[in-house]
Amino acid sequence: MAPSNSAIVDANPQAGQGRPLPKKESDLFKNVVKHYEQKQYKKAIKQSDAILKKYPNHGETLAMKGLILNSMSKRDDAHALVKQGLMHDMRSHVCWHVYGLLHRSDRNYNEAIKAYKQALRIDNDNLQILRDLSMLQIQMRDLPGFVITRHNILNLKSNGKINWLAFALAKHLTGDLRGAISVIDIYLETLPEGCSEKSRGFEASELALYRNRILAEIPDNYEEALDHLSECQNVVVDQTSLFVSRATYQYKLGQYTEAKKTIMDVFERGLTENYKIHSMYMCTILELDNDILEDALKLSGTRTLPTMISLTDEQKKILLDAYETEIYPTYPKSTAATRIPMNLVDGDRFRNSLDIFIRKGLVKGVPSLCRELSSFLLLEKNGKYEIATDPIDVKQHPKYKLIVDMVDEYLSTLQSSNKLLSEDQVEEPPSTELWTLYLRAGLHELGAEYNEGIACLDKSLEHTPTAVDAYELKARLVKAAGDIKGAVEVIDHGRDLDRQDRYINNQTTKYMLEAGMEDKALDRISMFTKHEGNPEVNLYEMQCSWYELGLGACFAGKKEWGKALKKYSAVIKHFDDFHEDQFDFHSYCIRKVTLRAYTDVLKFEDNLWGEDYYFTAAAGTIRIYLNVHDDPSILKENEEPDYSTMTAAQKKKAKAIARKKRVQAEKKEAEKKKKHKESAENGGGGGGQHDEKLSLIEEDPDGKELLKADPLEEARKYSAILSKHCPKRMCTWELQYDVAIRRNKVLLALQALFRLKELDSNSAEYILRIVDFAVKIPSFQMSGAVKNVVTEECSKLLGGKSVTDFVMELAAQARSNPSTPLPLRAVIAKSLVTTKSESEAKAASVIIDGGLDMRELNVDSCRVALGYLKGFGSDASASVEKWILFVKELYPLVKDFS
Amino acid sequence: MGRDLKVEFGRINEDNIEQLRKVNLACFPVQYQESYYKDVQDSKGDGLCKFAYWNGFVVGAACARIEPLNKDDKNKGTDKDKTNDDNDNGADNKKQRIYIMTLGVLAAYRGRTIGAQLIQSILDHFENHMMDPELKNVVEITLHVQISNDDAIKFYTEKFGFEKGDIIENYYRRIDPPHCYKLFKKLR
Repeated sequence: MAPSNSAIVDANPQAGQGRPLPKKESDLFKNVVKHYEQKQYKKAIKQSDAILKKYPNHGETLAMKGLILNSMSKRDDAHALVKQGLMHDMRSHVCWHVYGLLHRSDRNYNEAIKAYKQALRIDNDNLQILRDLSMLQIQMRDLPGFVITRHNILNLKSNGKINWLAFALAKHLTGDLRGAISVIDIYLETLPEGCSEKSRGFEASELALYRNRILAEIPDNYEEALDHLSECQNVVVDQTSLFVSRATYQYKLGQYTEAKKTIMDVFERGLTENYKIHSMYMCTILELDNDILEDALKLSGTRTLPTMISLTDEQKKILLDAYETEIYPTYPKSTAATRIPMNLVDGDRFRNSLDIFIRKGLVKGVPSLCRELSSFLLLEKNGKYEIATDPIDVKQHPKYKLIVDMVDEYLSTLQSSNKLLSEDQVEEPPSTELWTLYLRAGLHELGAEYNEGIACLDKSLEHTPTAVDAYELKARLVKAAGDIKGAVEVIDHGRDLDRQDRYINNQTTKYMLEAGMEDKALDRISMFTKHEGNPEVNLYEMQCSWYELGLGACFAGKKEWGKALKKYSAVIKHFDDFHEDQFDFHSYCIRKVTLRAYTDVLKFEDNLWGEDYYFTAAAGTIRIYLNVHDDPSILKENEEPDYSTMTAAQKKKAKAIARKKRVQAEKKEAEKKKKHKESAENGGGGGGQHDEKLSLIEEDPDGKELLKADPLEEARKYSAILSKHCPKRMCTWELQYDVAIRRNKVLLALQALFRLKELDSNSAEYILRIVDFAVKIPSFQMSGAVKNVVTEECSKLLGGKSVTDFVMELAAQARSNPSTPLPLRAVIAKSLVTTKSESEAKAASVIIDGGLDMRELNVDSCRVALGYLKGFGSDASASVEKWILFVKELYPLVKDFS
Repeated sequence: MGRDLKVEFGRINEDNIEQLRKVNLACFPVQYQESYYKDVQDSKGDGLCKFAYWNGFVVGAACARIEPLNKDDKNKGTDKDKTNDDNDNGADNKKQRIYIMTLGVLAAYRGRTIGAQLIQSILDHFENHMMDPELKNVVEITLHVQISNDDAIKFYTEKFGFEKGDIIENYYRRIDPPHCYKLFKKLR
């Protein structure tokens, strides 16, 4: 957010050093401030120049002029002038304030805070500066400082609602919950009885619920929170929220009967399709532990308690009774009320309800039906259910078999009699057959039977060639079967059916990026950007992260490292902006009393760097810098090749190639510029917009500047952010290891290994790194004592075994267990070779003799395995051949596998 | 026969014209020229050119246009040279007709009155807007049908009261028989 232009300077410009300006100039100065606030910068400059003509060393005018220039995007001049002004009048709070504002607009918040504090030392009761300071403090999460500043403000001006609420909020955020409550209470006491702030209405309601939330945050204080809900019930307008809180407190207090009653009230208010409320209902009925409810509330989609943990038959019966006698009869139209009991029954009862459920979906035409059905494929792991995703697990699942058999039965009945069940009275509309074929294809996808799935979709497209969903699914299957270019064709064809369908347009763009067709992808997505100017800039302004991430990966796949970095940096910049966006809320939310939502936003912002998109951008950046570090020569591809070692003929040829490349590149660049210019001209008329500074996208579009940075330092920087904000991801620690080991930071690498082991000790990526580490130990440059510790810790990770034994044992396990995942097998085979435990040919057998029951078997993992096999050298060449044959048979659509 | 399917109608424009190609490709043995698609996508509203939607997908389409009443029927049906007729017709040159260029329903959706609903909606459009400037000179609705297509002839004559007009010989180029009837119905 740009710094607000309001009232930076109080009415007395002569303050400081006691050198007041004469009346005329003093009035001019007031005008300068006024025009600045009204954003009439040219006038303001003119007037400050008039003052400076007479008093060239007037500090405050110099500072103000600097501030105005800053608003006119003349940053360097601005800094010089403000500093000059400050030098001339170090004792002016105006100068310090302006200095702070300047830093703030550079997002240099710590410096800005210092400057504000300096200004306050001179004028400690200046409300405006105090307010600006408090904004920065909350932005920077200087919570203790924030409390003090808000306290000062409240002391100076205790008749404003905002000042009371901000002080209460400050106390809340610093953990002084009782303090926060009493601030709110004192504030309420200052209000006369019957005033609008105390009667039923949005602000009173929000404040009451905010107070209630703080009460509940006090340990073991649910009783008081519960009582307070009854007290404030009359002013609260958000009754749903009140009821949900009440149910929660009653549940936590063990008042299950009351809690259940309250939950029924919540349903009555219309939340019957909220699966979280259903989980709460079930936990209440079964009187389960609080932890279980907390976990159940984190489930997504239509998942509820019985799909999270295994319940006893008795518990299931209790729940089933409750749904059959209480919920379903009251809400017979509720999808959730019919959907949830399906997770409580088995055998014929499950079959029957499934039958009804699927047929309903097929007649209606529900594209997500398959995904919904897959949520019945539960696997128990460490006492909790997970949804089976690996085709091996899916195909073995009895419910998968049941569903497939049912759908096959529907298909054959439909094809013979246009009915789903042969005993049906009426025929189905033709679309039912379309959706049944579509569902069958989706089930094939779950079982990795791509060719069979594609055949189903071809039938459904023959049936209804205008069914865009069928094109989309077919594209997904063709892609999974290994033909990304073919998938692009299919989905682009589907997209063309309705060029106003943004969803399918975006999907097409994604597929094109995956296929390395970035120009075409831009062409497609540009159908939905502004039709003027550079679409890339428009996408950047819209913060279209998925596109930029896809394009980054696309460039990285083509080894265009600079361009890829550029795209990732754009996404990272979006997150800086998201963080910056908080500024808008600090004053607004308190004014509007949306305190609950505001504290949620603050919490969200604290975890911002743990979001998926940020993670992807940072991880992509780290990987590129690691590549650059490992092979710095990749940066030199644009330079002249080394001619000295070539023969004359080779030289000639190489030069000709280089020249050709250069000409092509220049041509392309010129075309791009021309296109851009044209579109800018067409879209012109913005008047004066053209001299604006270049957007991030246009500056250094190929990321050449980014490539000049120290690769390891950049990688370290991002890896540190990820380990702080995404500690639960395997990938965070994989990268941390990869960065640390290159920086010779042995202990950091070791820490990463421990974290990886804790997260998943059977993952291929962990095994790869622990073996790498164990093999490298002798080469570490470190003192004997440290080395001993490292060796000891590493031995702990290896379970006390030598690295050879460790790997041999894993190999034995893999050979005896056919479902051992392919990526793990590949890593074990590689490790057998690097530790010289087995010959290359023998090690290769861990991969090539894996058979069809391997988990995580897909085109990508097959490619990785191929890469390892090829690395084994000539001794394993027979294995390479064998592997290629195996994969080609498995994925006949793969065209470039070798 | 299955139950009737009550379809919804939607307009055809340049953003969804590909769906018309899909329907036509699946329904007709002849390929239509680009000028036909251009005419359809430029047509205003969904009065004369429309998709039939069932359950969210296009399952059929009807495309008609307004043209001079006595437009030379011996010309090829889909690509007529407009400048030719303008002066030919003397006193009648202000009278016009609705000419149904195509009516197609995907095979899986036939026999459920979708075609009839499409034709009826064109007739309804005429009824409701017959005094509008575009339609005020229209006196007839016309189409051509291959002489061997008994189902279609029955459909138009029995359901909608069309009359069988002259045989036009060698109307089609690539299909056999190449002759067609002109079917028409007086509208006022």
